[in-house]
Amino acid sequence: MKIIPAILLCLAAGTAAQAQNSLEKLFDSTGTTHTRVRDTYKSTRIIQGQSTETLRKHELDFRVAHRFGDAGGEFGGTKTFFGTDNSTDIRIAFEYGISDNLMVGISRSKGAGNLRQLYEGLVKYRFLQQTTDNYVPVSVAVFGNMVISGMPSATDKTAPDYFGTTADRMTYVAQALVSRKFAERLSLTLMPTYVHRNRVSYMDMNNMFALGAAGRLKLSKRLGLLAEYYYPFRTTESKDYFKSLGTKFYNPLGVGLEIETGGHVFSITFTNSTAILENQFIPETTTSWLQGQFRWGFNISRRFTLFGKKDWKK
Amino acid sequence: MKYWLLLVSAWLVVTSATAQDVYTCKNARLSFFSSAPMEDIEAKTDKGASALNKKTKEVFFKVAISSFDFKKKLMQEHFNENYLESDKYPFAEFKGKINEDVDLSKDGTFPVTVTGTLNIHGVDKVYTAKGTLTTQGNTITVNSTFNVRVADHHIKVPTLVVKNIAEVVAVTVNAIYTPYSNK
Repeated sequence: MKIIPAILLCLAAGTAAQAQNSLEKLFDSTGTTHTRVRDTYKSTRIIQGQSTETLRKHELDFRVAHRFGDAGGEFGGTKTFFGTDNSTDIRIAFEYGISDNLMVGISRSKGAGNLRQLYEGLVKYRFLQQTTDNYVPVSVAVFGNMVISGMPSATDKTAPDYFGTTADRMTYVAQALVSRKFAERLSLTLMPTYVHRNRVSYMDMNNMFALGAAGRLKLSKRLGLLAEYYYPFRTTESKDYFKSLGTKFYNPLGVGLEIETGGHVFSITFTNSTAILENQFIPETTTSWLQGQFRWGFNISRRFTLFGKKDWKK
Repeated sequence: MKYWLLLVSAWLVVTSATAQDVYTCKNARLSFFSSAPMEDIEAKTDKGASALNKKTKEVFFKVAISSFDFKKKLMQEHFNENYLESDKYPFAEFKGKINEDVDLSKDGTFPVTVTGTLNIHGVDKVYTAKGTLTTQGNTITVNSTFNVRVADHHIKVPTLVVKNIAEVVAVTVNAIYTPYSNK
């Protein structure tokens, strides 16, 4: 009978296959559900603007950002040691994760536009996070802030820093952030932005839209190259008017290096804009890369976990 | 036609016979502990999957690297991103066999050793781990602690944080198995 060896063969094959493989096969589907893409950026900021990253629940982020003076041009060169003798803007902030996707923060910055002595309240919410299986192709977050100036009012009633009412001291930003990590090394972000300034000078714009684009190219696990650009939609009339006064607006462009060292993220940046907050660097940048009016600066982020023990025990 | 009927039925007999000996656990608890001069790091998960064959004494473990939970979320990000590279190597797997000749069909507690291959970070290494195995009625409980040398699995620790991360990490495994069913 030919059939006996066939059955024996089948039995043998069956047992062999059953042995180790079967144990593995029981869990073939383990963990294949929509894994979230991590680390599109290492920090909640790219260079000046926001990234789609948020703090995790109960994380406190202490941030310091600093922008030095012009590296070249009239105010740069060796006499100011390429701008390091001056600082155009400094920001100190505490930011906190309420949930894994919702963060709030307060900050104080020097300010480098029409207004100085700026106090900021901010909120950012990430409502979509990219998944590795492209079930969700992009991460999407919204950002908003409210900034009030504490500086004394100007006496000239036409000046942008003349404050008739408290409302004149306020500026706002609303922003949508759309990111995609295209590969391990490449992340890109689009940032449609709306800036509202309650008080501006004659022919300036209270409401301004801008489109930002940014990206990161990772050079190694802990080092990334950053670039960020904003295109503000300023009207031609406004541009022409300011040109006649001798003021030209430039689009903010920044490049930087993102370095992660354990609990810190350190970014070295080069920007033409002098201000750190969106409320100012988008509508009020009048310094140009080509005239040596760029500066180096840094962002330092130190993240602390609060209530770590309590949360972890659960 | 008859041939195939016979073959299929023979296959089914084999399959069902062995399936009865298979015990599984879908919420195995795994944790690891790193003790270094600067800090202690601990992470845990209860999402390990494991199977144990009573008859052949084979053991299998699989756990998603990203399921490990740390006290510090930033540390968890770095663990996934920089050290274990869980996008490239999403799982840790162990395939092994109990060395001792123990009769698992009887109730009792057995000190056992398991020898097998552990794959972490895409790198295989053979381990022999000590543990205890307790059978009671329809459940089998396994407890084991063993040491993993980080460098053995090509996990690089930069000199900057060498005082924060131990060279050898203690891994603890705890699994309660019940008979496998397809449902």
